[in-house]
Amino acid sequence: MDLGFLAQYVMNGLMLGMMYALVAVGFTLFFGVLDVIKFSHGDVLTVGAFTGLATFIGLRAASIDSNALQLLAMLIASIGAMAILGAVIARAFILPLRYAPALNTLLITLMLGTVLREMVRLFYPDGANPKPFPRLLPADSVSIGNFNLRLDNAIMLTAGVLVIVGLQLLLNRTKLGLAIRAVAQDEETAKTMGVNFNLIVLITFAIGSGLAAFAGVMNGLYYNEINFGIGLYLGVVGFSAAIVGGLGNIYGAILGGFLFAALQTIGAVSLPFASAYKDVFAFGVVIAIMAWRPTGLIPEKLSERV
Amino acid sequence: MTRKPAEDSTKFAPVLAARGLTKRFGGVLAIDHLDLEVAQGEILGLIGPNGSGKTTFFNVVTGIYGADSGSVTFGGADITQASPQAVYHAGISRTFQRSRLSLPLSIFDNIMIGNHKRLNQRLWFNLIRRDAFKREYESSFHEARALVEVFDPPLANRMFEAVVGLPMIDRRRIEICRALISQPKLLLLDEPSAGMTHDETTQLMNDILEVRDRIPGLTIVIVEHEMGVIERSTDRCVVLNFGRKISEGTFTKIAADRQVQEAYLGLQ
Amino acid sequence: MESILPGAVALALATAYLIVLLRVENQNTILALLGVGIAAVLVANWLGWLAPVGRSFGEREDVLGLLAIVAAIVVASYFHEDHFVLLLLCTVLLYTVATLGLNVQFGYAGVLNFAGASFFGIGAYTAAVLNQHTAIPHLIVLLIGGLMAALIGCLLLLPVLRTRGHYAAVVTIAFALLLKTFLEVNDVLGGPQGLQVRSMNVLGWSFNNNIEIGGLRLSFYTSYFATSLLILIGAFVLVRRLERSWIGLNLDALRLDETAAGCFGLNIVRWKVTAFLLGNFLIGIAGTLQGMVVGFVQPNNYTFADSLIFVSILLLGGIGNPWGVAVATVIVVIVPEKLQVIQEYRFLLYAALVMMVLLFRPEGLLPRPVRSYFPGWRP
Repeated sequence: MDLGFLAQYVMNGLMLGMMYALVAVGFTLFFGVLDVIKFSHGDVLTVGAFTGLATFIGLRAASIDSNALQLLAMLIASIGAMAILGAVIARAFILPLRYAPALNTLLITLMLGTVLREMVRLFYPDGANPKPFPRLLPADSVSIGNFNLRLDNAIMLTAGVLVIVGLQLLLNRTKLGLAIRAVAQDEETAKTMGVNFNLIVLITFAIGSGLAAFAGVMNGLYYNEINFGIGLYLGVVGFSAAIVGGLGNIYGAILGGFLFAALQTIGAVSLPFASAYKDVFAFGVVIAIMAWRPTGLIPEKLSERV
Repeated sequence: MTRKPAEDSTKFAPVLAARGLTKRFGGVLAIDHLDLEVAQGEILGLIGPNGSGKTTFFNVVTGIYGADSGSVTFGGADITQASPQAVYHAGISRTFQRSRLSLPLSIFDNIMIGNHKRLNQRLWFNLIRRDAFKREYESSFHEARALVEVFDPPLANRMFEAVVGLPMIDRRRIEICRALISQPKLLLLDEPSAGMTHDETTQLMNDILEVRDRIPGLTIVIVEHEMGVIERSTDRCVVLNFGRKISEGTFTKIAADRQVQEAYLGLQ
Repeated sequence: MESILPGAVALALATAYLIVLLRVENQNTILALLGVGIAAVLVANWLGWLAPVGRSFGEREDVLGLLAIVAAIVVASYFHEDHFVLLLLCTVLLYTVATLGLNVQFGYAGVLNFAGASFFGIGAYTAAVLNQHTAIPHLIVLLIGGLMAALIGCLLLLPVLRTRGHYAAVVTIAFALLLKTFLEVNDVLGGPQGLQVRSMNVLGWSFNNNIEIGGLRLSFYTSYFATSLLILIGAFVLVRRLERSWIGLNLDALRLDETAAGCFGLNIVRWKVTAFLLGNFLIGIAGTLQGMVVGFVQPNNYTFADSLIFVSILLLGGIGNPWGVAVATVIVVIVPEKLQVIQEYRFLLYAALVMMVLLFRPEGLLPRPVRSYFPGWRP
């Protein structure tokens, strides 16, 4: 296989990996502060992508034609709205069930995901069908041999890296990050040290959901199409990535995201005749990895007391 | 209790024996080369400050944790690597520090969970041969009821009530019935007094001793903080600190031991 | 006799209500009827009339179970010429069977399965393939459909056994998505269009013909209704006996506290596998017959959203209570079919409804009572 093609696959894999990683980081953040899995996370991503699309359509109707402005507004609206949605979900459905069996949180967020997904399908105009997503980034490309480096992909990848670095700085260098880490370490101690527990939980859910919105817009810009099911898919893969990386571990989640993308890309390269089966393969990998290392490659801290 | 103390347990064949038993959690030695023997028929108190490895010892013996090194034998057979299931089938049953009953289930159901090995678990028997099942069910019911009656007669009339509505003392009683119903050879009691008043604990211990006389050859190891309980009910005590055995003997002997006092008072 | 009465009265009222509801076509009348139904249940609950009903079902299940069968036959006979209603009744019966299977896995053993519709679909596809290409008697096909669902379920055994809670959940969700995508892209199984399923034929009796007895004409769905009812009775008795045995106790024990159950000799793997396979077997049988009843299969009928419908039925009815499952299935299947305005919104509505149940009444409409091995037995 020639190098150009290979580079193309690597680039595709990196883009996929970035999206998976962004979703996985959300799962891991939530698990860190509350020890819960929020199954509606993927569908928040869907709603985020559609919010972005609606913003774009609104701006175009208002004859604002600058691509940069459109993109900026899209990101702000989508991330802002999802951050609020994430905090509202935590406040209304997750915090009240803190002392109920963990199964109830699982079920309620699963059902909430369905509500969000179905609302997009039913109430977004013609939401049952795939919607075209605008191409807002410069589509120029640089050719290096057989490899076509598309500028928009490079920009998205850079933006993704910046977001993750930003998150790292936020968590490690700010007072807010310290509070989040304190809550993740030990709720009781954090409370006695004067951390407002509920507020930190809400902020964490807002941050995670904002990341999902970013990934949703990125998904739209990359494929130039979105549908109501993208979040379900990205949610399952992102959650698996978070598990593989050891829930609660941010670096692990990022690693898990890229690992999944790598496996998928390798699958696509080695089985080109079966490209129709690429999603089947992706879910097969999820199941196989769960069978192989059910608690992740980087084991999560054992918490059960006997 | 004024039983003849087994001052030198090595004279008897030990029913349970740990040799050089070690369990690590990360860098912490929860149990550190522990040698411990329990003689047939005795009541052994296992005491020590918080985190001294008492509950960990129970968890290693019952197969919940694997030992890092050393061995445990029970009735002469090596059970170091045995699963919790195998340990139970060999004749060891236990209670838990934090009550671990199945709260939505009835008193009877909870006790029958402990009776697992004496109940016919075949699908055919359970689903098709309902008449035979009913006979086994009736005899098990009467047995369970008789056992509960020893601890608390009124409770025996409420066998089909969910455990969730019962006070702590009754939950403890049912946990002990669950552990005793299979007629084990060795009973491990993990802090039976936790969450109960002094009088309730005394009552509970008296009930346990009454049951012991009905199950011939029952040996008991009891982890307890309440020294009154230890003093009254044990034949012999072993004191742990930082996973090591620091003293052994009758309660009066260990109570006088300077090392034990230091461990408890934290004078090191 | 006294303890039978409240249950029998409730059953008679419910049967009459169901017949009226199924009969009416006018959408506003249906809406009013549903309002009346909900109000009646709320008022009865407020007056304390529901408790005796629950008690009588608990104590005299033998008699009331027979009465419930009679009630189902009465409803079916009333609509003996009506294809649509009989098809709907078959769906109710078969969804109840499938949810009873899910109940064994999830309600008793605590093994999560968010791919119920997938195993249902595996049964239906088995029927499509076998009825088309082989001469295997169709009653045996039903059995094979159940076994296929259990067998393919074995692929998930390892991850399901090695994981708990949310981990197991994601495995079954991934399987649900995998199977649907697989069916869509696989041409042998008809791709997105699916396959036709040949109708059932037992000992030369074709289920596709209407029945004429004397001057009486019965819809061909009557045969399917009778078969579905028999399967439901079998499944109900099986699940009931399972619950009221040491095995049911084992499953509860491992769901509630795996560690403690292990310390009392319970073989966790053996009972989880038993529950998972038995559950999938029941779901598979129901799916196989459903495939033959409907006459065609396609991937879109067996989506993750459909799996969540099964889960919703279980949560609404009351986890672990077979009667609750039956009542919830009637509601969940029939209401959107009659009230066409909500048909399109059913996934959304049920998901929202289940969220409310989880927040305000997590034990469901008919909470599972404490186990009684032989109802009415006194020491």
